[in-house]
Amino acid sequence: MSSLLVLDNVVKRFGGIVATNGLSFHVDRGESLALIGPNGAGKTTIFSLIMGEHRQNSGTIKLNGEEISNLPTHKRIQKGVARTYQVPRPFSEMDVAGNIRVGMMPDNLWQMITRGADPDGELAIARSVGFRDADLSRKPSELSMGDLRKLELARTLATRPEVMLLDEVFAGLTVGEIEQISHLLAEKRKQGLTYIIVSHDLRALEPLVDRAVAMTFGKAIAEGSFSDVMDDEAVRSAYLGQ
Amino acid sequence: MPRLLLAWAAFAVIMLLLPQVVSPGTLRIIIFANFLAIFAMSWDFISGKTGYISFGHPFLIGIGAYTSAILSYRFGVPVSLSIPLAVLATMIGGTLFFLPALRIKGTYFALVTLAFMELMYQLVQVIRPDLTGGTRGISGIKTILSGAVPNFYLSFGLMFAIALALWLLSRTRIGTALDAISMNEEAVSGSGLNTTRLKLFAFMVSALVAGLGGAFYAHYLGSIAPRALFDINFVFTIIVSALIGGSSTVIGPIIGAYFMTFLLEYLRPVLPGSERYLVYGLIALVLYVYQPKGIMELLRKLGVRAGGGRTGRAGNV
Repeated sequence: MSSLLVLDNVVKRFGGIVATNGLSFHVDRGESLALIGPNGAGKTTIFSLIMGEHRQNSGTIKLNGEEISNLPTHKRIQKGVARTYQVPRPFSEMDVAGNIRVGMMPDNLWQMITRGADPDGELAIARSVGFRDADLSRKPSELSMGDLRKLELARTLATRPEVMLLDEVFAGLTVGEIEQISHLLAEKRKQGLTYIIVSHDLRALEPLVDRAVAMTFGKAIAEGSFSDVMDDEAVRSAYLGQ
Repeated sequence: MPRLLLAWAAFAVIMLLLPQVVSPGTLRIIIFANFLAIFAMSWDFISGKTGYISFGHPFLIGIGAYTSAILSYRFGVPVSLSIPLAVLATMIGGTLFFLPALRIKGTYFALVTLAFMELMYQLVQVIRPDLTGGTRGISGIKTILSGAVPNFYLSFGLMFAIALALWLLSRTRIGTALDAISMNEEAVSGSGLNTTRLKLFAFMVSALVAGLGGAFYAHYLGSIAPRALFDINFVFTIIVSALIGGSSTVIGPIIGAYFMTFLLEYLRPVLPGSERYLVYGLIALVLYVYQPKGIMELLRKLGVRAGGGRTGRAGNV
């Protein structure tokens, strides 16, 4: 199987701090990958590098075999990669439907003017993340944290990504909400969505992924099945400081 | 949508009948309000929608006014040609105006645009004063129509056409995308949209409107006075109009412009000097603290209350 997203020897320095230190990993089409590691391991930096919010100092990032490192963020999204954020970033004055609408828009001024929105499409995406029809007219300020995560997922899914980067999707959620989002991701996984997921909630993570990469100080220290990675000596000492 | 279109039509009919009932003196005030409304709508299309606050809008208005004035007064170009050329020049100027928006936002952007206006003020005095008229400006510019009533129709027609076009535009998905930029620009590019192109579009539309307004204004007044044009009070009048009317709407800046114009006009006999600006500043402040979304929102709430508490959505007006 050809790899959908490949990072090769990626280095990112912020001043004197090496956030990503020659990291390499890949994710195949239809695969789900967990990126685990202690705080400050550089997980979110990896997402920012893949999205082009930061540029790496060296190394390559390829999507579908094509180098995307020189593309601006919006072009990378058009190529098929999208991310969610630890802190959801909705368009605060727009309702749920409006938020999804922005995600669905073509990057073409003429089409934005001449072609209207697609309410059915918006509804379908909203439903696919578990919103009820009445939720479409709700503003982000009226939503619970769990619903904000759903909205973040919906807006990201609306860009029709081939691979999704999910950053701490369980943070700040109640047990019930975690279950809901887990169920949703399991569903998406079954439908063939490729994703890389970062979370501190390892228990929630395990059933959602095919494979895991553990990292610390910007380096991969173990790779393999989730349980193998968790049993790894280096991983245990990185987490527990032994 | 049809109900809102009906409201637009009603507004037009009332305004068109106005010369039958009010004096030419009042009409002249309304003419100024129409031009102020055009400038406020232009400002709002950049600043209200995308959140890039411009303190230098007279830079754009000035390019429109000067280009058409110089072309027609100095070179005898007919107004029917000088105005389109002026609009074109303003849009080119708008691209310059746009450049800082690639790098900076917020207060910094506002200050740079203010610098643009100051620069323009200095330039018209220093560079080719034989063309620009230097500090004294230009007078004796060809007017398009004469008399209060025809000029009222002209200014209202222009204002109304611009308002309708902007209203229709802001109801499309591009309006949604521009609104989204003011809320969270990163998330817009995170939705796969080229925010630079969207912002450039907003700036071009704003420049087009400012250029049209500036050029027609010069041909209405028959003169340009750089000190009044490139004046911080003029900037504030434009901004306050848009804000107290209701920013990021189309009707808001119009209501605001009318409100401001009549306020300043009726204060004139009481406070002839610049103390007037203190009063309007105060009113703007109180209103803004009380209802940041402006008169538009107050009216909407009033409408909802009058409608027996129905939660009627005003839509994107």
